[in-house]
Amino acid sequence: MIGEIRKKRLIEAMVDAGLDGLVLYGNAWQNDYLRYAADFGILEGEGLAVVTKDGDVTLYLDDELEGERASVECPEVKTVVADNLIETVSDVIGRLGNSRIAAGPKRHLPYGLAARRGDLRFEDATALVDRLLMVKTADELAAIRGAARLADEGYAIFRNAAAVGKKDYELIAEIESFFRNEGVDDNFMIIGVGGPEVRGMAPPLGKVLKPGDLVTTELTPCVNGYYVQICRTLVIGEPNEAQRKVFGIYNDALEAGLAVVKPGVTAADIARAENDIFRAHGLGDYVTSEYTRVRGHGLGLFPDTKPHILEDVNTVIEEGMSLIVHPNTYNPEIGYFVHGDSLIVRADGPEILTKTPRKLFSVDAKRAAA
Amino acid sequence: MRHGLILWREDELSTADVKARQARLQAAIAAAGLDGVLIYTNHVRSAGVTWVSGFTPYWSDGLVLVLREGMPIFLTALSKRVGEWVKSVAPTFEVAHSPFPGKLAGERLAKVGAKRLGVVELDRMPGGVVDEIVSVLPLELSDATELFTGVRSQLDRAELNLVRMTDDIAREAFRAGDVTSKFAGDFTGPVERAVRLAGAEECYMAVAPDLSKDRRFIRSGKAELGRTFAVRLSIAYNGVWVRRIETFSAVSEIGARLSSVSAALDRASPAQPADGSISAFYLPDGAKLIDWHLEAPHGTRPLKIVADAETRLAVPVPYGILTTAFVLDDETIVASRPVGVGEKVLREAAE
Repeated sequence: MIGEIRKKRLIEAMVDAGLDGLVLYGNAWQNDYLRYAADFGILEGEGLAVVTKDGDVTLYLDDELEGERASVECPEVKTVVADNLIETVSDVIGRLGNSRIAAGPKRHLPYGLAARRGDLRFEDATALVDRLLMVKTADELAAIRGAARLADEGYAIFRNAAAVGKKDYELIAEIESFFRNEGVDDNFMIIGVGGPEVRGMAPPLGKVLKPGDLVTTELTPCVNGYYVQICRTLVIGEPNEAQRKVFGIYNDALEAGLAVVKPGVTAADIARAENDIFRAHGLGDYVTSEYTRVRGHGLGLFPDTKPHILEDVNTVIEEGMSLIVHPNTYNPEIGYFVHGDSLIVRADGPEILTKTPRKLFSVDAKRAAA
Repeated sequence: MRHGLILWREDELSTADVKARQARLQAAIAAAGLDGVLIYTNHVRSAGVTWVSGFTPYWSDGLVLVLREGMPIFLTALSKRVGEWVKSVAPTFEVAHSPFPGKLAGERLAKVGAKRLGVVELDRMPGGVVDEIVSVLPLELSDATELFTGVRSQLDRAELNLVRMTDDIAREAFRAGDVTSKFAGDFTGPVERAVRLAGAEECYMAVAPDLSKDRRFIRSGKAELGRTFAVRLSIAYNGVWVRRIETFSAVSEIGARLSSVSAALDRASPAQPADGSISAFYLPDGAKLIDWHLEAPHGTRPLKIVADAETRLAVPVPYGILTTAFVLDDETIVASRPVGVGEKVLREAAE
């Protein structure tokens, strides 16, 4: 159903742009373009979806096991498994003749496809598809709300599992197990454990939780293809004064960013509102790229979709977008700290999706790993 | 996406092991008259770079440039902050940062006066990366997949040991599954938990929920389980990928028979050669083979089907995962096991 709605939008956008065909690439890391057209959550190998203006969508995969799965999970889409993916799709495109074909995302488009196209060249489909990915339909937003509920429940599991003596990857095992039980097929998650020496989050390194540690995480469960994120930080034991003070700054920054969100502002406006709080506390250096990547980002069929919330990104925020605002960055006193909530942009401002309280959680230092 | 334990484990895959691989590749580069080889990686096309460096990215992508001499260079758009993490989990290459890693590769190649560059899976390389490279210097680009596959196919004791360890993790993890579960997710949740507690980097699970109706595997945790069902567990551990498929039943009599078949497969499979043959493979008495395929690491793919009933194995592989489907006592059984990892093969690899 949701796949059909997306396909209809895609075809309309193609017709509006005067395109005859679209070629969309995807893999499990960045699958949003492919999934928009073909509604398949690819896991292994690579895929290309070929869409014609008549509404035909064919999914080309290079992995037989994935082809088998696609035949069950998205039976309405014609799927072709091709060991030589590039040659097969090039032949298909060749048969479309001297027509206007666009492809995307531009950065990932395989070299062999473009090389075989020669002088005809693909037009860049990136902007066309990005707009569809960013501004969502009511059905897409409903799917996002469903994912948000699981992000909150996942964080509760995370909080309850944290204990002195537990290893970081053991915490992640609890979360992933919970998500599989709940039918959540995918989750993007990184973690940080420790104090001022921790400069960011990464996959677990085998660190053992100990009293005084900050435990940061961003959880990003995927439900029906849609990702929603939550960022929170907890302390093992009672938070100290510095940790409480820093939490206050990040919470103010998050709330300042959220307060700005409404149709018509830019991504830069949101980032500036967050960063101004840090600058007011003499922490302006820590909102630069040396210490942080983005101040939030879009959410949808990719966990880090456009727009990136940065002071130099002037994308206009529109009703129907879904975002996370997260003023995550390094703090020299206490280490890397994260705090963020997902939202949907409505006409009157943000609809906050994640309901986990905005507080500095603490875990009883006497709670020991089983 | 990959979010399990990622560590440099010197006792399992040593710096010397990886340097020996790099030296073999460099010798092949020189013998082919190339100035270097470029290998792309992201977390699904990770196998080439993982083999040559021990590193797998959890996010974004990168390139490894192997020149005729010296340490390979990991070129990435990831930040220097993330670069520190990369160095901590892979001390086997230099890490170089640029928003345009292809351009940086071009600059490094220009520095050594390179004229001929081999690219593993050239057709699949992101086009923007190739454009960046050739914008810096004119190069003759060629596909180096065959060259790489030839070097990659050589037996490697560290890798074979890791395959056995990873399969052990899979076998043990299956014990956590409750065969009386109503839904697929109820079974797979505890199994995945066990896999991750054992320190795996990644875990994918798929289920054929009712083998009496369909042998195809899906990812839906909401699927209701039938009288017999199969679960495919794909695990990455220290850069090595293994699949294990087991068939289960909540009916105790059938379940006992399935356990017995599984145990027999465990005894027989490691010694089966990974040569694309099926004739000598163990099948229980009275079983009728329906289908089979062999998977192996190939190029940048951790596992890819390299042989089946219609397709012969085209090039040697370092190890394989053999999947069989057969009927026994009117029950369909699907099973996957590593092959080509027996004691004899390990001894040969050590020599």
